[in-house]
This record gives sequence, C-alpha cells and structure tokens, in this order.
Amino acid sequence: MKRVAILVLLALTPALWAQKVEVREETLSNGMRLLIVERHDSPTIACGWVARVGSVNEHPGITGISHLFEHMMFKGTKTIGTTDFAKGQEIRDQQDAVFAQMREEYSKLRQQLLRGEISGSIYDPENQTPRLKELRAQLEKLFAEEKKYIVKDELDRIYTSEGGAGLNAFTTEDQTGYFITVPSNKLELWFWLESDRLLNPVFREFYSERDVVREERRMRVESTPTGRLDELFNAMFWESAPYSWPVIGWASDVEAITREQAENYFSIYYAPNNITAILVGDVNPDQAVQLAEQYFGRIPRGKVPPPEMITFEVNQTAEKRTVGEADTNPTVTIRYHTPPFDHKDTFPLEILAQALNGRTGRLYKSLVEEKQLAVGQPRAQLGTNKYAGYLELSAEVKDGRTHQEVEDAFLAELERLKTEPVQDHELQKLKNNELADSFRRLQSNFYLLIQLVFYDSDGDWHYINDSSPKLLAVTAADIQRVADQYLTAENRSVAWYERKKGTQADEDPELAALPAQMKPMIKQQVAAIQKETDRTKLEQALARTQQMADQVPPQAKPAVRYIIKKIQERIDQLSASEGGN
Amino acid sequence: MRTHVKRLPVLAFALVACAVWLTGGPIPDRPEKLQFPPLSFNVPDASAMRVELNNGIPVYIIEDSQFPLVNVQLFFRGGQYLEPQGKEGLAELTGRVWRTGGAGNLSGQDLDEELDFLAARLSTSISGTNGSVSLNLLAKDLDRGMQLYMDVLLHPRFDEDRLAKAKDDLLAGMRKRNDDTSDIEGREWDRLLYGDDYWLNRLPTQASVDSIQRSDLVAFQGRLLNPKDIVVAVTGDFEKADMIRRLNATIGGISARAEPVPDVPQPTATPKPAVYLVNKPEVNQGRVSIGHMALKRPFDGEYALTVANDILGGGGFTSWIMSRVRSDEGLAYSAGSMYRINQTYPGTFKAFFQSKSASCARAAQITIDLMHKIQTQQVSDQELKTSKNSFVQTFPNRFQSPTQTASLYAVDELLGRSHQYWQDYRENINKVDAAAVQDAAEKYIHPDRLVILVVGNIDEILKGEADHPEAKFENFGELVRLPLRDPMTLKPITDDGK
Repeated sequence: MKRVAILVLLALTPALWAQKVEVREETLSNGMRLLIVERHDSPTIACGWVARVGSVNEHPGITGISHLFEHMMFKGTKTIGTTDFAKGQEIRDQQDAVFAQMREEYSKLRQQLLRGEISGSIYDPENQTPRLKELRAQLEKLFAEEKKYIVKDELDRIYTSEGGAGLNAFTTEDQTGYFITVPSNKLELWFWLESDRLLNPVFREFYSERDVVREERRMRVESTPTGRLDELFNAMFWESAPYSWPVIGWASDVEAITREQAENYFSIYYAPNNITAILVGDVNPDQAVQLAEQYFGRIPRGKVPPPEMITFEVNQTAEKRTVGEADTNPTVTIRYHTPPFDHKDTFPLEILAQALNGRTGRLYKSLVEEKQLAVGQPRAQLGTNKYAGYLELSAEVKDGRTHQEVEDAFLAELERLKTEPVQDHELQKLKNNELADSFRRLQSNFYLLIQLVFYDSDGDWHYINDSSPKLLAVTAADIQRVADQYLTAENRSVAWYERKKGTQADEDPELAALPAQMKPMIKQQVAAIQKETDRTKLEQALARTQQMADQVPPQAKPAVRYIIKKIQERIDQLSASEGGN
Repeated sequence: MRTHVKRLPVLAFALVACAVWLTGGPIPDRPEKLQFPPLSFNVPDASAMRVELNNGIPVYIIEDSQFPLVNVQLFFRGGQYLEPQGKEGLAELTGRVWRTGGAGNLSGQDLDEELDFLAARLSTSISGTNGSVSLNLLAKDLDRGMQLYMDVLLHPRFDEDRLAKAKDDLLAGMRKRNDDTSDIEGREWDRLLYGDDYWLNRLPTQASVDSIQRSDLVAFQGRLLNPKDIVVAVTGDFEKADMIRRLNATIGGISARAEPVPDVPQPTATPKPAVYLVNKPEVNQGRVSIGHMALKRPFDGEYALTVANDILGGGGFTSWIMSRVRSDEGLAYSAGSMYRINQTYPGTFKAFFQSKSASCARAAQITIDLMHKIQTQQVSDQELKTSKNSFVQTFPNRFQSPTQTASLYAVDELLGRSHQYWQDYRENINKVDAAAVQDAAEKYIHPDRLVILVVGNIDEILKGEADHPEAKFENFGELVRLPLRDPMTLKPITDDGK
C-alpha cells in the first residue's frame, strides 16, 4: 500500500521535490565570473576559483604542463614568498639560460637515442654527459642562490596562521581548481592572496618542483599495482580526442618544459576571462561582489581568447582489447564512448548506469549472486568529461572463474537493457535514489563548492539545479534507445588484467607451474574438492582420477597429478578432524 | 516551484563582521596590513543536546530542517579485540553480514530491495575497538525506516548465502595483501610496534576464515550492545520531542542481553629499534616510516606535543619535514609526521615519506635530523604562532554541521573523553609556549630508539645516491630484512618473494 502511494506521488510531481540551490552570478568588468551561495550554518566560507584549462588543452611535448603549473601557483608572487623579488629574478634568468644550454645537450642525446647509441631515457643518470653534469652543477648552485631570497611556502603559512584550512588544488583533463576554507571574517584575505597570485605570479623553484612531480608520478602511477596498465588502457581507448595522455604528463615532457612555456600558458589560460571564482558559506553577497571587483577586477583581461578545443573523438570502427599482467587480482574492464557533460543522452545513460549498480543492481544480481563469477561489487560508471564521455563497467573475477565468463556476463546484461524495457518499479527505485541524493549532495559547503567548480568549468553551473529534473524525467524507452545507440561492439574497449605469473605468492608453486589455460579449470576443481565433506565421494573421485591419469596426453599429466594430490590432502584433512572429535 | 531551504533555528556562532566591514579602501601592499572584523565562536553546548533514554542510553539530538533527511547513528564499544583465537576476521565479517544478511522476516535480498526502494542508507560496521549501526533516509520514510533499523539492530539473520559472499570478498581482499607497498607498510609497521600477539596484528588467514561459521557471527554480535556500551547521535528534519518518543519506543527498549564488553587490552611488547627492510622489487619508489610507540590519554603536555608534531611534520607545507624533504630537495610528493594520541590504547609516532629508491636514505637522514632539531632548538615565534593559530582558528570547522557536532560528542562519550575537552581546547593550545614545545619534544619524541621500516626495491634503496654517499640506512641501526608474508597464511615467505 505504502509503496504504491510513494510511487504515485513521485511519478506525478518529481520536479516539485528536487532541491534548488540559489546561486548569485556576477560577471566582473574584466570578464571574470563570480558565483555566490549564501549559507550561514557555520562561520566559515568555502572559497575557490577554477581556470578552464587542463590536460585537454596540451599537446605532445608539453603534456603535464597544466598540472606542473598548478604546483607553480603555490610558489609565490612578487610580494609573497620572497625577501627581494628583483634579486631573485636575476638569478631565475640565469637559471633559464643554463637550462637552455642543457636543452641543447639533451637534443644531442635525443639524436643519440634515436640512433641507438644510448638506451633508456636521456634523463637517466648513466646517460648524463660531462657537459650536462657541469651545467647541472651550475643550476644547483643557482638554486642555492635563489633560496637566499625565498620565503618558504609563505602563501600556506599566511593562510594557516589566519585559520585557513585545506589549502589545495587539483588538475583534471578539463579544469584546474584552487580552493580553501576560511573563517568568514577573513574573506578579504582570500581576495588579497588569490588576486595577487593571478596578477603577479612568480614561478620560483621551477626546475626543482618537477622533481616533486616526478615523485608524485611514481607514487600515483609507477609504484602502484595497476598504474601503468590504467594509463595504457586510457591511451588505447581515446583515439583522436586529447584525453589519451595522463594529466600528470609523460615523463619525457615533464622533464623538458621551460619556464617560458609555462609563462605563455599562464597568459592565455589564466586570464580572468577564463576563470570563475566561487564562494559557498557565511558570506554577504553584496560585500563579496564589491571585494571581487576591487581585487580580481584589477587583473587585465587576456590579450587573446583561449583557443577552442576542436579535436573531437572519431567514431571507433572496431573493438579494442588489451590483456596486461600486474600484481593484482584479475579484473575485467569494459568501456564505451558516450557523449560529453550535459548532453541530453547523458541523463538516460546515468539512469542506465545506476540500474546496473549497487547491491540491488543488475550486475550484482547477475555476476555475483546468480552466476557467482565476481567478488566485491561490479560497477558501472558514467564519466562525463567536457568534450566526450564514457561508460565503464568493471569487476574483479572470482577465484577459479575466468575473464571470459565475466565479460560474457557483462555483455548479457547490456543486451538485456536493449531488448527488455526497464520495469516501472526498478525505474522508480532509481529515481527515488536520485531524489534523496539531490539533498544529500548539498549538505556540505565544501562539496557544494567542488560541484560548482566542475559544472561551471565543464560548461554550465546550472547543472546543479537542472540535472535532477532531467534524470527524474527519463523513461524506459529513453534507456533502451541509448543502450542501442552506444553499447555496440565496435564502440567498445576491453581490458583484462591478470595476476602476474610467477610472483603469485598466494598460489601454490605447483599450480603456478601448470599451463595457464588449464588453471581456471583446475582451480575450480580444487575449490570443489576443498568444499566436499563426504569422504566416500572423495575416495570415489580419487579412484576415477587415478584411472584417468594413465589415459591423458603427456602435457595434461602434471595437472591430473596435482588434482590427485589435492583430493588426497582433503581426505587426510577430513580423517584428521574426525579423529579429533 | 517549492524550494526546500529552511534556516537553522539557532545559530551556533555570532558573526559581528557585517556592521564594521571595511571595504572600498585602497588595497594594502601586504596581506598583514588587512584588518579583520572580530569573530567569536561559542562551542555548541553538549548538555543541551544530550538526553537519556529509558534504559540509560545517551542520545545527542539536534533538529535541523534544512534538508528533508534524518540521520541516526548508534555507536557501540567492542570490536576486533574481542575475537577468539583462531577466528580472526570474525569482527569484520560480523560487521558486514549484520546488515547484508537480512533481518526479522526479510532475507538479505528483500532487505536490500526495500531499503534501496526507500533510497535509505542503512549500514553496520565493526572496527578494531568499536562499531556503528547507521541510518540515513528521507524524513517521510522514518516510520518504516526505524522498523527496519531496529530489525537489523536486534534481529539480524546472518543468512548463509551472504556470509559466503562476505567470505569470498574478504579472501579476495587478502589475496591483494602484497600487491600495494602501502598495504605491506601498514601491516608490518603495526607488527613491529605492537608485537605479533597484540590483537591489532591478529589478522584473518585462509584457515581462520574457513573456520568461521554463522553461529560464530551470532555469538559475536550477541556479545555487543549492552546499553552501557551504546551512545547515539540523531540529527535532521524532525521535532525533538517526537523523536525522543520514537527513540524511547525503539532504542530505549534495548535490554542488557550481555555483560558490558571488557576494556581494550594494552600492548606489552617493546619494539626493537632497527632498520627493517621489506623487498618489493617491482616498484621504483620506496615507502619509509620512522618512529616509535606513542601514548594514550591522559598525559601531561598533550597540547604542547600536538604543536611540536605540527611544526615537525604534521602541519603540511608549513612543517619542517615537508619543507625540507619536498620543497627544498624535491625528494618526495608526500612527507610528514603523525603523533597519534588515542583514547583507548596507545597510538604510534611516525614520520613518513615516499621517495625514489636512490634517495630514500637521504630523505630519512633529513627527517631524523629534524627530530633532533625539534628537541634541541626552540621553535621560532612565527612557527609557534602559525601552528597555534592553525588549531585555534580552524576550530569551528569541527562543528560545521549538526551531524558532525552530534557524532563528535557521541563518540567522545563512548570513548570516555569529557565534553570539557572542547570547551578548553583553544585556551589549552593558546597556553603552549616555545619552551613547552621543546620540553614535550624531548619527553615524547625519541630519535634514539627509532624503528625504521622501508618497503620497496631494497637493493636499489641500499645503493643510495652517488652524490650523497654519506646518507646510508646502516647509519641508523642494524639492518634487518623482513620476508614478505604469504597473503593467505601470513607465514613468512622464506625466499624473499623471488
């Protein structure tokens, strides 16, 4: 009874329920935009600004510059972070001159590498020429010189001592965001410091900061179990759209970026007409607008508008596939190309993804409960970047089952979405969740700020209010239509990750030595043996297998011997526990 | 269109900024010249939100009609430390299957379906020393939601199929134990500091998971939830008096079915200072932890020690370790220190970083030098001021939402920390001076008895850097190679994983 009542109410009046965020929007005289949400729950303001630039605006040769840049924005200004800007600048000019000479040396090394005279990377210690070592030493000396005029991490110190919390920034493919939470009486400090770093930035420690970025890359990618495979899969998935390289950049490029390139990048993409500032919290909007005009308004508009991103993803014409090995449990990942942020088809695709997700979702019911192929919770996720999107399905293969079985089960569920309309009850469940989540996601000032940062720089902050009604209006027919359109074989990329052979510490060494294609079958049998509690059955199985051992071809013999051993062990185990009782 | 924005009835702070805001003046040349209006923040009064139910269970309750949601969190004492020998993994499995295994007359699947249709989030979890049963749902569904909540709380079914599933997931997670160096680091650190026999280090193995039966879960859950072990936090869109009536009719009816749980046992092992090396040849970055045992409350000098650790490595970019290891030398992306002061058992002090193999020893040398420095050299006035302000001025962030405030107070009461702690907190931090910082560092940081744990490509790490031959792990103590452990049995793999 109750369930029906809720269903009717929601079905009739979805839009009346969704929560609206009141946002004040202003555009300053120099083109910078300002969004303000007034909420007086605590005496704090979540403050941020976003530049509409990310790795999507890069090209080979400067991949990683957006992210390196984000690091440089914490290095101070003509006022902050220095005891003497002019002296420091002299030294930085000298550093740049030395680095230019190093680049010439690296050019020569690159030629040698192309001819095969050296190997590895031109930046490897063993490839450093005496001339490079000398230049490096000069550069190190100039770093030490520069340090005399540096006030370390002064931006951070000023914020910290005035009660700022969580000063940080992030770079994605599509945007670069900078944020902090300040006590509400310190809003002017935020305007002072942020407008200063947009107006007068100085890229101090430019050459040593790339070492930090190299460590960040080691930490996030190279020293994680699947970091390199994830990069490979991403690079394989995107063909023409500039999403194929990692945000952190290729190592070859990050090492070579010059301060001049960074300055050019800044003048185009960090112009106020390419930036939106956002405040959420205990703020007086009129005062904030006044301060914004006073502080941010003094930054001159960019001389040229940022170039438009025009390289779209081409239509994929054949399925792509990769199989990689890593120190990880086996997984299957499947991706389809889908449309970008706020495209009308993303709303049915989002509901489609949610139909697959969660403990009452279709993937869990099929792959985990019914077919027992996967562990954990198989997942569907819609990624909506600014210029293109993707639907990604992923699951961890259960021990003893195969990648192929999991992939087949995924595809069967996607096929079902095309052939059978989603039932009313299921659709209503998904919409009920969307409705409740539309409240949940507004609860924290900081999280609301981050959503506005993303939506504004992806295209339109109104998404915060408009997405819920659009999701609640999705029909079963819409879902079927987008399933048909996007979830096709030629639009698909598949990655199988397998546990690296030989290092499987969890695997019996005898099993590790057996042929790979037989292993899943053997593991399944062994699992069944270990579950069996009836000794008679085990003894019968033992006799049958021993008979079989003489008849199988020689390459299968080790496998049969292994199974015999496992049955014997299980029988012994059962005898021992009976004896103990 | 109807919007759902209502204001909090009472503001927990007083903002006097608006009347005296100085705008329109010229922009000063330094930020220090800005003048800020005063801001006073009063710590929310815990006693005003505390009620006791009929059976004595304390509830922290705050009305907040800003969103049409209700949040119920029941915290209880008891956790992994109560596991019987040989049943390692039982607390975690009980915490998982408690919710997923069905309740009352609903199977796990039926319960999932009904909660999901209501868009309600009901979760159970059991950690090392305590656990929680939480509900978040739309206020309109509160009647049915509370019925389901009480069924889960008191009448869980622990269905066999969901137990089997939870075991599969636990085992799959265990298989990954040696895949990521951070997991190896965390596990070995606890072993070295607390000793193999301490409850923290009694981890699930294939054998212990295989031996766990449904009856074990029933028995384990049956030991929990004595009303003396429970504190509740409730916030959201309701009327307080009505909510108290509801709670008395539900949680207030829980009877003492078991004795209160015993206290958390204290560690007895003495860590042996040395440099411990775990080889993971596949990675190009080493993870290094350097430290020793810490303390539990109460002890003298807590606030001075908090400031000392903040300046040493806790305070992010303004801290010494970050500044030297990252900003100056570019040896790490992440570097710092933690001094964990626990309520129920001692935490550990740990400086940490991740650095490319060759530079691990140099970064370790810098880190250890800084530990000596904080003992021998008084911190500067500016360092002291920055650190103290970072605690005092960000203090209101701890009370940003009613849910945050109510659960903070509830967990404090559960673990035995007085509410006066927060009333006095800012004053206690403000009282700390440079001499007290040095005193606390001398007393509670021990660079002479460091346990150093290194996980990574050990051959490369021990080679060090050609340019810095002086930086060597041998200088910090005896080198002890630790074998990787088999992920399913946790027995040492003797051939070093090769």
